[in-house]
Amino acid sequence: MLGLPHLSIRIHESSKQSPCIVWSAVTLMTFGLLALIVLLQRNLDFRIDVHAAKIEDLAQLPRGEYLKPALLGYNHLGADLLWLRLLQVWGKKKNTDNEYEWMYHALEVITTLDPRYAYAYYVGGVALINYTDRPDLSNRLLEKGHRANPGEWNLPFLLGYNHYFALGNAIKGAEYIGRAARTPGAPDFLPGLATRMHAEAGNPDVALQFLEALWKENPDLVVREKLETRAKEVLIERDLRALERAISHYYNDHRAFPSSLTDLVSRKYLERVPEEPFGGTYLFDARTGRVTSSTHPARLKVFRLDLEGGV
Amino acid sequence: MKVFSIAFNTFRENLRDKLLYNLLIFALLMIGSSLILMRLTLGEFHRLILDIGLGSINFFGVLIAIFVGIGLVSKEIEKKTIYTIMSKPVARYQFLLGKYLGLSLTLLINTAIMAVGLLVVLYFQDVPVHAVLFKALGMIVLEFMVITAVALLFSTFSSATLSAIFTLAIYVIGHLTTDLRAFGQKMEGVGRAVLEGMYYILPNLDRFNLKGNVTHQLDVPAGDLLMIAAYGMAYAAFLLMLASVIFQQRDFR
Repeated sequence: MLGLPHLSIRIHESSKQSPCIVWSAVTLMTFGLLALIVLLQRNLDFRIDVHAAKIEDLAQLPRGEYLKPALLGYNHLGADLLWLRLLQVWGKKKNTDNEYEWMYHALEVITTLDPRYAYAYYVGGVALINYTDRPDLSNRLLEKGHRANPGEWNLPFLLGYNHYFALGNAIKGAEYIGRAARTPGAPDFLPGLATRMHAEAGNPDVALQFLEALWKENPDLVVREKLETRAKEVLIERDLRALERAISHYYNDHRAFPSSLTDLVSRKYLERVPEEPFGGTYLFDARTGRVTSSTHPARLKVFRLDLEGGV
Repeated sequence: MKVFSIAFNTFRENLRDKLLYNLLIFALLMIGSSLILMRLTLGEFHRLILDIGLGSINFFGVLIAIFVGIGLVSKEIEKKTIYTIMSKPVARYQFLLGKYLGLSLTLLINTAIMAVGLLVVLYFQDVPVHAVLFKALGMIVLEFMVITAVALLFSTFSSATLSAIFTLAIYVIGHLTTDLRAFGQKMEGVGRAVLEGMYYILPNLDRFNLKGNVTHQLDVPAGDLLMIAAYGMAYAAFLLMLASVIFQQRDFR
């Protein structure tokens, strides 16, 4: 305020001589200051923010129970804005384990602010199981969503997937699929899948049908890639079962194992040796009669009898 | 009749207030900004438009109700224009009621303009509009009416700044009364009685919040809606009565 009259007098004085020069000087100075502001801002961003990755901010979110009253009835809007922020940090190709914990925390806060945000539960559940292997976090989120939204079929559907494939508990998986199938508005294929899962949960064809259903529901490329891998693993299981059946027929007839898998084909126990879906081969041990895949020596959890709930 | 001429005059006076236009423009900008934010989100962008739209209408309306409401009486006293009105055969309660109705009319028209802005955005984004949206807008207007009455009450006995602080405080508390009750239920004896009493006396502004119902397209039964409307009207009437009593006792110097 003090300098202002002084300045205006000066401008006034010099404007008598050449107003054009004064105005260009003022314009130049204004733009100069603007450039300085941008430069300083960029410098500050570089100096201060370079270490603070924005994903870490999610860890500092207060718990939803405290945040909700503080939003004074704007909690749905708060959930939207947090969801937007979460999506911006999710874009990374690979996240660390800690980062998934924080993401889970953010999802927990978002769904406390708006317990009926079914989409957030579902996408969060899909991401926590497919982008990283955290069925515990995924299930906790989905269970919360299922309790708050009993009318959403895809939450128990995904819970079924997690129990069936990730935790290897076919009975629990089938139970959730049954619940999803009974929800009004569930797609037509679900009741059939649920019945088959109850009757023959260990059948690879049931697993393939399940995966196909989930594939149709998720346009996300990372998720689809994951599901395709899983489908190939199930195909291995199906091939191994076919091979084992042929070997056991052979053994019953000859009281000895064949010397190689091609023996089975030449003696008409098998039409042809199946191709390994990952590009490997099926290995046969002629002494024990066991077949394994060269790329996936361990068999899928869900089909193993020794595990609790396995079929 | 006197009440209505004061109300109409207040309305015209409000239209000259620059604050009103500033807030209105901000609200419309916010509603428009949802179109940009929408591109960043994944999944249900309809809900983003609805949440931001209703949130802006509510928030800026509350600001108008508070900051125009506190000036209704105190400005007249400050500018000494109150003497010219009081010297006429107008009862004090009529003056207050006129002022109140005038600002309520302003807020109603304001909300209508903001709602049209929201509806335009919804129309061009092909978002289906359900009846519950209009119910929620109605409840928002009702909340404004209660808050205006609170602002008017405070402005009958305190300065504009203090009234603004008090009204903001009531707005915040009004959204937290459910917690107040929950705390009370964990207490014993006097503490419990005091908190229970406060719960019933303070306005429960969360009752007017149907924004979540719009987001999830959950309809509100007509009976509930009528009850909420009756509650809002009764509360505003109670505050106006209180304000009239205080205003009647007051000396202007």
